[in-house]
Amino acid sequence: MGKYVIKRIGYMLVVALVLSILMFLLYNLLPANRAYTDAKADMQTMKNTLRGKTEEQKQEIFNERYHEYQKRYGTDTKNMAVRYLRWVGLYPNAYGKFDGLLQGNFGYSYEHKKTVLETVKDPMLNTMKINIIAMILGLGITIPLGIYCSTHKGKKTDQFVQVVTIIGYSLPAFITCIVFIWIFCSLLGWFPPSGMKTPGTNYTGLTRILDELKYLALPLITMTFCSLGGMTRYVRAAMIDSLSLDCIRTARAKGVREKTVIYSHAWRNALIPIVTQALGWFLGIFSGSLMFENIFAINGMGKLMIGALNTRDYDLIILLQMFYVIVSLIGYLVIDIVYGLVDPRVRVNK
Amino acid sequence: MKETKKRSGWLRRLFRGGSKTLVEDNPSLAVEEIVSPMKQIVRGFFERKLAVIALVVLICMFILVFIGPLFMPRYYDSYTETTQQNISPGFKMMSVPSELSKDIRMIDGYGKFSIGLSNAGKVYVWGDTYDPLTKIEMADIPEAVQNHKIAYVAAGIDHAIAIDEEGHVYGWGATKRGQYTYYTPDQEVADDVVSIPEGLANGTETVDVANIKKVACGYQITAILMNDGSLYIWGNAKSYSNMDKFVGKTDLIDIDFTLNNIVGVTTAQNGVYTGKRGLFDKLKSTLTGKAVASREFLNGRKVVRIAATSKNVCGELDDGSIFFVGDAIGSNDPVPALHAGEKFIELEAGTYHYVGLTSEGRVLCWGGNTLSQTDVPSDLAGTTKLYCGAFQTYAVNDQNELVDKWGNKGYLFGTDKYGADIFQRIIKGGKMTMTIGAIAVIISSIIGVIVGVVSGYFGGKVDMILMRITEIFAAIPFLPFALILSALMSQMNISENSKIFLLMVILGVLTWTGLARIVRAQVLAARENEYVTAAKAMGVRERNIAFKHILPNIVSIILVSLTLDFATCMLTESSLSYLGFGVTYPRPTWGNMLNGVNNATIIKNFWWQWVFTSIFLAVTCICINIIGDTLRDVIDPKSDRDK
Repeated sequence: MGKYVIKRIGYMLVVALVLSILMFLLYNLLPANRAYTDAKADMQTMKNTLRGKTEEQKQEIFNERYHEYQKRYGTDTKNMAVRYLRWVGLYPNAYGKFDGLLQGNFGYSYEHKKTVLETVKDPMLNTMKINIIAMILGLGITIPLGIYCSTHKGKKTDQFVQVVTIIGYSLPAFITCIVFIWIFCSLLGWFPPSGMKTPGTNYTGLTRILDELKYLALPLITMTFCSLGGMTRYVRAAMIDSLSLDCIRTARAKGVREKTVIYSHAWRNALIPIVTQALGWFLGIFSGSLMFENIFAINGMGKLMIGALNTRDYDLIILLQMFYVIVSLIGYLVIDIVYGLVDPRVRVNK
Repeated sequence: MKETKKRSGWLRRLFRGGSKTLVEDNPSLAVEEIVSPMKQIVRGFFERKLAVIALVVLICMFILVFIGPLFMPRYYDSYTETTQQNISPGFKMMSVPSELSKDIRMIDGYGKFSIGLSNAGKVYVWGDTYDPLTKIEMADIPEAVQNHKIAYVAAGIDHAIAIDEEGHVYGWGATKRGQYTYYTPDQEVADDVVSIPEGLANGTETVDVANIKKVACGYQITAILMNDGSLYIWGNAKSYSNMDKFVGKTDLIDIDFTLNNIVGVTTAQNGVYTGKRGLFDKLKSTLTGKAVASREFLNGRKVVRIAATSKNVCGELDDGSIFFVGDAIGSNDPVPALHAGEKFIELEAGTYHYVGLTSEGRVLCWGGNTLSQTDVPSDLAGTTKLYCGAFQTYAVNDQNELVDKWGNKGYLFGTDKYGADIFQRIIKGGKMTMTIGAIAVIISSIIGVIVGVVSGYFGGKVDMILMRITEIFAAIPFLPFALILSALMSQMNISENSKIFLLMVILGVLTWTGLARIVRAQVLAARENEYVTAAKAMGVRERNIAFKHILPNIVSIILVSLTLDFATCMLTESSLSYLGFGVTYPRPTWGNMLNGVNNATIIKNFWWQWVFTSIFLAVTCICINIIGDTLRDVIDPKSDRDK
């Protein structure tokens, strides 16, 4: 097992390395030159002191500023390998210092005028909060529903649920959102259509929680609804598979009570694929609500990312992207290891 | 019947063998029918009602989306129309009330609704009369108007004006921009509003009805022209920059409104009067002809009357010929030629089209034809009067009866916030969405199949490397990455078409990993089969074994994956476009058509702008998923039939 885990971690590191190089090259394709814009901005602010100087002197000052900024941003060389290593923090910059990702320098958000880490903090907490709640709600509904459907296979209820779930997972999230806003905000008027708290208020304690809950209710309902389809079908399929195992027939032949057969014998066998699926879902807690955040105006990672893309805040985008990549890589690693733990065949096969 | 067949069949059985008949005679000899796997799949598929319905719906959708554009030659992507924004679905734009159609005095229209007046003095309103945002219903005609005998009516974009026989002026509809309410000069809105005279607004003053020459409404503006050349004019001066030149004018013989300018003819009759130098002063003899300075063009001839579309003005000269001034309009149907000695006795203008009645009784129509305004019916005998709405024309005979009407009936699914027909955009957008989905799926399948087969068949190092590459692509979080790539793409300096092609490539390149894994697993199982060993023994090239022997055996599984991936790609494209990163306006896709609606006001008030598009997108995806799921069930021999 240990060897298997080490092998998987090794693979993961290689994949992460390749992806980071890929990302870095992609971002350097962009026609943005930050040193140039900053130097130009400096020239604007120095307008008064520059008055009376000739064009050549101005050009000289500009060049000086430009080179200074290039050094600071590590773009004073055309060599991509050097730039990449500087960004990671494995190669000294123009001042002879190692200052990259490995040293904890994640960059600076130009739009928010803060370091990227500070910018990301609040949205990350929000995203995690709503995703975790939605996941708990989702699992709480889908697992009982899936089990019920598998034990009542082919009955009217099951067929109905099958049709509803196929509609559920075929609908794009944004259409579900629009329909839900229409039902709950326009027709019933129960919830506010967007935002995170009543504007202009500064509640504390219980009122704050209630206020927040009122605003988060609709996004949470929508997210839960969107996730029902896929998971219910998955649980149902896994349960049907495990209910057709020989051991179940044996258990029934022995006269074990039907409840015990379903919840103890069959459910445990079905758990392996369900757990891996749920783990994959768990990975989504950092990024799964991109669409919802944008529609319901929730200050989360997805909204931050769309905002950064629209304002071309590149330091922020590349960091978010790397973050998503690493989260999903770690997720795959965890899934593989869990799979290896519960199912020894996997280890042997690979 | 069967008996006779059996008896007469002995000869056939003697010479041609009769195994089939024998089996029929003797059930114990019956053999199970042997069906090829493909046939089995097809048969299994058509046994399921839901799947067949889904398939039929999907095929209909395809036909609609790919053949539909052939039937809309006048459609273009960037079409916008200010006067037709947010119109609700329905075909009521031209539905003249039957009571009115036998007794027409006048009909007018500027935007979404038309107003009609009968000789009995009764006012009728039809068209898209309700504005959900302001909650104003134009069809709620004020009681004062209903109770009085009306002599003149006129309709603007969001207001209507009626004058009764005693000369009282009534207005209803929107009021915010001084359409008919009086503003004292110190009120805040007054700076860009020319107010209606106070006496007219509160009914203490009247207009001399017998001397009214023309009542006209433009975009939130109204003008009453008297026979003596004086003018009452009021309304929104912001949309008509030359309005101040007309206030207090006393020498006019005709007036009309384009979208942004007031045009008139003064008693000098020496051209189109706008009050501004350089505006509408270069005349042409055809819509697209060479523009000549007005004095030179007229050469002593006089302008008799004018009719204005949104950008172009047509006028009639005293020698019977017509001239044009202003920008070209729409598709520029050429002006039909007049016979020798023929003259226009009526000349009217809609938003983009002109219609004229000649002295020979012919009705001629030309100008913009985007909403079939100029498709004149063939039989219009007896027409003596023509009335123009915005995109409609009504022909009336000397009995004041409606002869015929033509033009825009309305919109099946309504219009969007730019005034474009949603139904046409759904068809065009569906074509785009489905094309993108299909090509993306083809790209992803080609990559997925090649990687899967090579990796599964050859194994070893190749397999190791290819599977690591697959892992890299699988580790990329899909939506964020696609977002970033399309954001990058939008900043590159490339044409819209290549952007769309790149979008397909991005979608394809990001979705192949699942298929590659499935194919690899299938090939791994298949390469242990006897037929592979046989092929190897015969010395068939390994490449051919992999792609010509093994691949056809797993094609059904690829088919399932292809179907389901098609739905996924369509959804992803829609999501990207919805967020504004895929295909962007003006090109329609089902995703970006929903782009503008994510706020509660539009969702509630302009429901038609999202309901229909959502239904099309949802139904297509649901059908594809049902077909894919059914195929999977049918193909998998282990799957339970009742599942």
